[in-house]
Amino acid sequence: MASRFSFSLVLVAILASACGRTAVRASEKEFLADQVMVFDNDPHETASDDHILTNREGAAGGHGAGGGGCGCN
Amino acid sequence: MWLQLARVIALGLVLSSASAIADDRAEVSTSVFEERRQGDKGGLTVVHPQVDVGTDIGSHVSFDAAYSADAVSGATSTVYQVDAVSAATKFSDTRHEGTIALGFMGRRSRITFSGTLGTERDYLSRQIGGDASIDLPGRNTTVDLAYSHSFDTVCDKDNGDAMPLERRALTGADECRKKDLILSSNIPGTTIWKDLSIDTAQFTLTQNLSPTMNMQLAAYGQVLEGFQSNPYRRVRVGGNSPQEHIPDTRARWSATARLNRFLPKLHSAVHLGIRFYDDTWRVIGADAELGYSQYIGNSLLVKFHVRAYQQSAASFFKDAFFYQTESTAGEYYTGDRELSPVRSAMIGAKLTLITVAGDKPVWGLFDKLNFNVKGDLLILDQLPADPSLDNPMGIDKQFLYGTGLLDAVILQLGLLGTY
Repeated sequence: MASRFSFSLVLVAILASACGRTAVRASEKEFLADQVMVFDNDPHETASDDHILTNREGAAGGHGAGGGGCGCN
Repeated sequence: MWLQLARVIALGLVLSSASAIADDRAEVSTSVFEERRQGDKGGLTVVHPQVDVGTDIGSHVSFDAAYSADAVSGATSTVYQVDAVSAATKFSDTRHEGTIALGFMGRRSRITFSGTLGTERDYLSRQIGGDASIDLPGRNTTVDLAYSHSFDTVCDKDNGDAMPLERRALTGADECRKKDLILSSNIPGTTIWKDLSIDTAQFTLTQNLSPTMNMQLAAYGQVLEGFQSNPYRRVRVGGNSPQEHIPDTRARWSATARLNRFLPKLHSAVHLGIRFYDDTWRVIGADAELGYSQYIGNSLLVKFHVRAYQQSAASFFKDAFFYQTESTAGEYYTGDRELSPVRSAMIGAKLTLITVAGDKPVWGLFDKLNFNVKGDLLILDQLPADPSLDNPMGIDKQFLYGTGLLDAVILQLGLLGTY
C-alpha cells in the first residue's frame, strides 16, 4: 500500500508541476466563472451524493475542495 | 449508526465545499433514497433534508450555519448467513446534525474553522475542522488544505470481557443512554459507549488550463481508530451468531483527478472524473464519472451524468457460507456489504431553473436563485468473494440485492440562492 501511495504522490506532483505555469488572463475567464465550470458548485448535492455512496461502498473521499474556475477566492 | 459514520467520513469534503463558496447564500434541499432488496429481505427509505445559510460579516469574516437530518426506515437482515430470508427486522431512526463555521478572508486566501455535532439513538459525533485555501499569483491555481478530527462514540451491548465469538449484538430494545443530548452515559450490564476517533486530511489543487478548461487533483487520507463494527450485525459462524468483529484501526487514502471543458459554441460543458482508492483492510476501488451540462436558453440547465465503480473485498471478508461452514477468516468476520466485492453503476439527470435578478432582487432578496430537480438510478451487483464450487447451495442465497436491474432510486429537490 505504501508503494502505491508514494507512486500516486509522485504522479500528482508531476501533473501539478506540468500545469503550474499556465496563464489565463482575467479578461479570459468568462467561461471559467460559469457555474457549470465550478467544481461542486452545489454543496448540498455533493453532500447528498457522498452520503449515499459512502453507505454502499468501501471507498471514501477524494472529491477535493469545491470552487475553482474563475480563481476568485 | 452506519449513516452517521458515513456522514462523518464524508464531512471533510463538505466542509471544503462550503468554505469555497464566497457569496452570501442560502440553500434548502431534500433528497429521498429508496432501496429495494431481494425477496422479503427488506428495503430502505431515507429522507434527508438539509438547510444551510452563509453570510459575510464585513469584508473579511464569514459565518455559516447548517442543519441536516436523516429519517431512516425499512427492514434489513440482521444476521449475515446463507438464506437469511426470515431474518428481516423492521427499524426506524432519525439522525440530527448541526454545523457552524467561521471563515476569515484575505485578498487571495481564506481560512475556515468549523464544528459539527451529530446525534442519533446509538451514535454521537463531535467534530472540529479547519480548511485553508489560497490563490497563487495569476489566480489560475488554487491550493486547498483541509483537516478534521472527529470524537465519536458508538453504543454497544455491554459484553464485559467476553471473547469475540461469545459477544452478543445490540438490539433495538437495548437502551442507549445520553446526557444533555450530546454526551454518552453507560448502563453497566446493558449498554456501553465505545470511542471512535477519525482524522481526515485532504489536499486539493485546482488549475485553470485554458479559458475553457480547468482541472482538479486531490489527495485524501483518513485514519479511523476505535470501534467500527455495526453493533447490531451478527454473523453466523458455525452454529453461533456472534456480533460481527472487525479491526479497530483502518487507514485509507484516495487520489482523484477531475476535468471540466466548456464548449462555447454549444453553450455546454463536459465533465470527467476518476478516482483510485486503497486502504489497510485491502479494499481497493476505482470509479469513473462522465457528465454533460447543456444550457437551454439562459434560464434552463440540464446535466446528464453516469458513474461506474468497482471494488475488491476486505482481506477478512468472506461469503456467508464460508463463515457458516468453514469458520472465521482469521480473527475477524463481517457481513458488511461495503467490505464485499461489489460493482455499481449510477445514471441520472439534473434540471436547474436559473433566475437572475434584474432591476429588482428575486423574491426581494436574491441576486440569483437556482431551483434544482435531480434523479438518479443506482444499479448494484454484489460479487462472490469465494469460489462458488465450494458451496453451490449457498452462493445465490446470501446477497441482499436481487437479480433485477434496478436497486435504488434517488430523488433530490433543492433551492440555492445567493444574495
